Parts: sequence; structure tokens; C-alpha cells
Amino acid sequence: MLSIEGLRVEVEGKEILKGLDLEVNAGEVHAIMGPNGSGKSTLAHVLAGREGYQISGGKLRYLGLDLQELEIEERAHAGIFLAMQYPVELPGVNNMIFLREALNAIRRARGEPEIDALGFMKQVRDKARELNLDEKLLKRSVNAGFSGGEKKRNEVLQMAMLAPKLAILDETDSGLDIDALRIVADGVNLLRSPERALILVTHYQRLLDYIQPDRVHVLAAGRIVRSGGRELALELEEKGYGWLSEEAAA
Amino acid sequence: MNHSLLDASAEAERYIGGLDSRAGDWLAERRRSAVLGIQQLGLPDRRQERWRYSGIDGLLDGNFSADWESTDNPLPPLESVMPDGTQAGLLVFVDGSFQAELSFVNDTGIQFTSLRAAMAKGDRKVLAALGSLSGTGRHAFSAINLATMQDGAVISVSPGKSIDQPIELLHIATAAAGGRMLRPRHLITLDKGSQASIVERHLCLDADGYFNNVVSEILLQEDARLDHQRVQLEGSQAYHLSEVHVQLGARANYRAINAAVGARWSRTEINGGFLAAGANLDLEGLYLAGDGQLVDFHLDVVHGVSGCSSRSNFKGIVYGQGRAVFDGRILVERQAQQSDAHLTNANLMLSRGSEVDTKPQLEILADDVKCSHGTTVGQLDPQAVFYLRSRGLSPSQARRLLCLGFASEILEGFGNVSLRGQLADHIQRRVESIDLENV
Repeated sequence: MLSIEGLRVEVEGKEILKGLDLEVNAGEVHAIMGPNGSGKSTLAHVLAGREGYQISGGKLRYLGLDLQELEIEERAHAGIFLAMQYPVELPGVNNMIFLREALNAIRRARGEPEIDALGFMKQVRDKARELNLDEKLLKRSVNAGFSGGEKKRNEVLQMAMLAPKLAILDETDSGLDIDALRIVADGVNLLRSPERALILVTHYQRLLDYIQPDRVHVLAAGRIVRSGGRELALELEEKGYGWLSEEAAA
Repeated sequence: MNHSLLDASAEAERYIGGLDSRAGDWLAERRRSAVLGIQQLGLPDRRQERWRYSGIDGLLDGNFSADWESTDNPLPPLESVMPDGTQAGLLVFVDGSFQAELSFVNDTGIQFTSLRAAMAKGDRKVLAALGSLSGTGRHAFSAINLATMQDGAVISVSPGKSIDQPIELLHIATAAAGGRMLRPRHLITLDKGSQASIVERHLCLDADGYFNNVVSEILLQEDARLDHQRVQLEGSQAYHLSEVHVQLGARANYRAINAAVGARWSRTEINGGFLAAGANLDLEGLYLAGDGQLVDFHLDVVHGVSGCSSRSNFKGIVYGQGRAVFDGRILVERQAQQSDAHLTNANLMLSRGSEVDTKPQLEILADDVKCSHGTTVGQLDPQAVFYLRSRGLSPSQARRLLCLGFASEILEGFGNVSLRGQLADHIQRRVESIDLENV
């Protein structure tokens, strides 16, 4: 589904990703771990098409498409979703209206009929209930005045509604207490399916207690320095990142 | 002396002369003294601080004639612009003239007469009240209105009456207004303890360039409460100058929410004053200016007595080569202790070619007051645009949602649902269709 080869990315002239390789197939859950500043969030944002990142080398293929050719919204239409570490507050923009417009924009782009108001309401209420997200938040402005946990649950709600093929969750666990983490993880687990791939970008192993990955990769100094199964995450938990960074430098 | 002023005075004289010959206007003397005011006050000039950012060259080039009546013209079909919902009264003005057959008042708490009828009858109360709040005005255009006022609404609400449904003043400019100056003047009085809501809409039906020069005088007596929702949706070639003079008695409440989105050139001047303690003035506004448009708001709020509060909150969006001017002046006089005055103005600029001139002025002469002001001028947040695009929305859809979000704080203050919907649609349509090259 996603194939990254030798990806090099610069931000303001500084190279952050230095030749990154990654293969993700449909149905798989990958965890990308690594110390702060290793380039995890850069990778997440580059996949979503955020401006300000210069791709100076390598290939980014997604479902046979060259991702670099696609605008931000075209990537969303093609099924890419980024759950953000810091979801933006949009005062005055109603959560329901936003979500319905987003869903219909994606449906239109795919040549599917738009969803009507009633059908949408029912669907969004059901999903909100699954995520234990207060229905009142649906009627409020997007993320405005939401707590950290509410913002993250709102991201997962959007993900559930937009039903992406490739979902990237950028530090979705940060700032969550254990209860909120469990709710978010349950929501994410509901979305696991043979057609869908998930990339979890996280600093800590604890998210992986709730969402079990198929593959774990360690990103250090702009490269994947080690890949393995779930046991790699546990090893990291025990030893920290220091030994890997030293290996990478050597 | 300025040539245009001579023209304006001569034209006003001709108009007044015409009224004399048709008989039935008891105001000839008052009108004639206002003609002198045209000369004395003079045309606005960019050298004056109040007009520094708003030129009137286009307005003068239009040569809009005030020597004109619209009563004899057959009306075009107006169904498409008539308001929905239920009203306590609907007062329709076409090209500045009251249309009795399209209008109604169905609440016994409201006394209504058209200004023309009151002038013809020599209604003393009305004659005495006219100009009592506005004076001759600050500039020639005000004086022209007073000298040549054609018609208007004279509304009073009986003591203690509470009018639940809105009273709508619907102004429609038709093709017949092309090249003309419209001079409506409204007189609104809320008696002690009464409550009402007025919706004031200025629309256009197929009219080319015209100049709507409208003045409203509003008096709220003790404990009266008025909610005034005003929308300027004039035609794209129109000029619109609107003066509001409001005086508040003890514990009275006046809330005006203004939207200025139409016209090529528009200016709204709101003059507010207090007669006794405990009164509250609440002014809100929303404006939108695109290519070739100028939108201008001037507030003059004077705290001349103690213990009153005022709050002014205006927001605007400019794009293309659009220009907006906001000049909010709040004066707290020495004796006006325990005044509470707050002023905010926020602007969203969508293009490099647009311009905003904002000037909040708080002049505080008393020492025991709570006052604040704040102004912001910003652009769309790139992070917010990215967020929306990452959810599948195009850049223009993202811009539409964010602009509507920015405007929503004011839009939600329009209690009249049809008005709010009309405005929201208008803003969304305009900002979504902005040419991306110019953003």
C-alpha cells in the first residue's frame, strides 16, 4: 500500500529525514518509535502533504500513486488520514458541519453520492457513542476549548467517519491519561481491518499495550535503524533509545 | 466654494420649491435652514480626520440627484425580496418612498405613520422630533437629507408594551433609483419600559448606481429596550451612507447589530449618547469588502453621564483590492464616573492587495471607569487551512469555513433567522469564489 524508498526531507535547509525506507501493506499496523527530534512527526506530516517540507530525494508511492504529485486534499480523497498530535482549534467552525463537508468532499471526489443530513447524524452519533465522546462536543466549534483527551477522541471520530485506507496517528497517546488512552485505543482497534493500514507514531511503548502492532520500527537521526516485531517495543521500553542512537551514529 | 455644493443647494431649493407648489409639507422652513447647513458644513474632505481613509470622489462623480420623487413609478415585481417569517409590522420603502399597500402593522402597541403623511398632516409631535437627535449633522450629506427627506418610518411603541415579533423596515432600490439619491429618514421612539426588535434591510433589485443617504433617529425612554438588526446588502454599484443617532434614557438598552456587505462604497455612522445612569449600548458589526469595495464604520459613543456601559465589537473580512475602515471613538467625559466602555475590532485580510484602516479611540476624562480597547488584523491561519485540507476540503472550501467561523460570533447575534441565513449564504458564496490567484 505504502512504499517509501530512500526518503530525504529538509525543513528550512536542515535535513531531517536522511534516506528512510518503509513498506506498509494493507491490514498491517506499524509503529514508528524513536527519540524526540528523530523525524517521526516530519514523516507523518510529509505523508499528509504539509507545506514547508522539501523532499530532496527518494520515492513515496501509495496505492500505485506518486504521493508527491498529490495535493493535501487529494491525498485525503485517496484515503490518507493524519490524526494530529496537536489538533487545531477552529473557533466558530461547527464540528458537525465541518465533518459532514469533509465526508462529502471525499465522497464527491470518489464519485460517490453525498450523505444526507439525517444519515450523517445517525452515523456520527453512533461513532461518538463508541468513542465515549460527549454529544455536546459535536455541536461545538471544532476542538475549541476541548481538553487534550477530547481533541484526540475527536481526531479518532473523524478517522472513523472518513474511513481512510491509510491512517497515520501522530503521538495520539501524548497528553492522555490511562482511561482516555484506553478509549482512544479501543476506537482505533475498531478500525483495524484487512483493507486498512495504520501507522502509529509514538515516543512511548504504552500505546502499544493497547494497540498491538504487527511491525515496530525505530527511527533515529532520520533513518529507520531497526525493525522488528512487538518485542522490539518492549526492548526499547527497557533499554531506552540511547543504545540505538549510538549504533546509528557508529 | 465647491461647485458640487452649489449644485446640491440649488437642487435642494428646487426640491423644496416643488413641495411648496404641491402643498402639504409643513417643514419648508426647517428644510430651507438645512439648505444653509449644506453650505456651512461642507462636503467631507480627506483632510478631516473623520474622512481620512474614505474618499468621496466616486460619489461626487455619480452626480446623484436629490430633486426627485419616486411615487408615480409603477413598481416592479418584489416577491423575490420580501422577507419570510412573521413580523409585528412590515414597512416597505421602494426607492426611499413608503409603500402602504405592501406594508402592515398588526400590533396595537405600535403607532406608525409614514414620514410623508406626518409632514403632510403637520403632525406637531413628529415635526418637533425631526432632527432633534441628529441636528443638521456633521457634513453636507446629513444636511441634504434633512433638507430633502422624502419619506420614512415614524414608529413609537407605547409605554410598557413588549412587541415580540420584529418590525421590519425593508428598503428596496429598483432600476428607477439609477442615478438618484434616496433620502429616507426614520424616527423611532420607545416609550418607558417598552421593548421591540427592528430589522432594517437595505436591498437592491436590478438597480445600477444610486446613492442611499439614510438617517435614523432613535430615542429610548427609561427602561426601554430595542434590538436593532441592520443589514446593508445594496447593489454592487451603489453608494450607501447611513447615519444612526441614538439616545438612551435611564436603564434603557440599545443593541444594534450591523452587517455591511454590499455596495461599492458604504459608510455607517453610529452616534450614541446617554441621558441618565444605568443605560447600556451594545454595538456589533460585521463587514465584507472585496474588489472595488469600500466599507466604512464610524462610531461616536459619548458617555456624558455616570453609570452607563457601552460595548462595541466589530469584525471584518477584506479580500482582493477591498478596503475597510473602522473608526471607533468612545468619549468618557469628566463627570461620567463608573462608566464601562469596551471596544474591539478584528480584521481578517485574505489578500495582499486589500487594506484595513482601523482606529480605535478611547478618550477618557473621568478617573473611575472600566475601559478597554483592542484591535487585530490577521490572515487565515495556515495550520487551520492545512487541517481542513487534510480532511479532504479544497483550499476554497477551507477558506469558506474559516471565514464563516470568523464571522460566526457576530452572525449568531442576528436573532432573525432569515436575516442570518441570507447573510451567511452571501458571505460563503463570496469568499468561496475568490480567485485563488489573488489570494
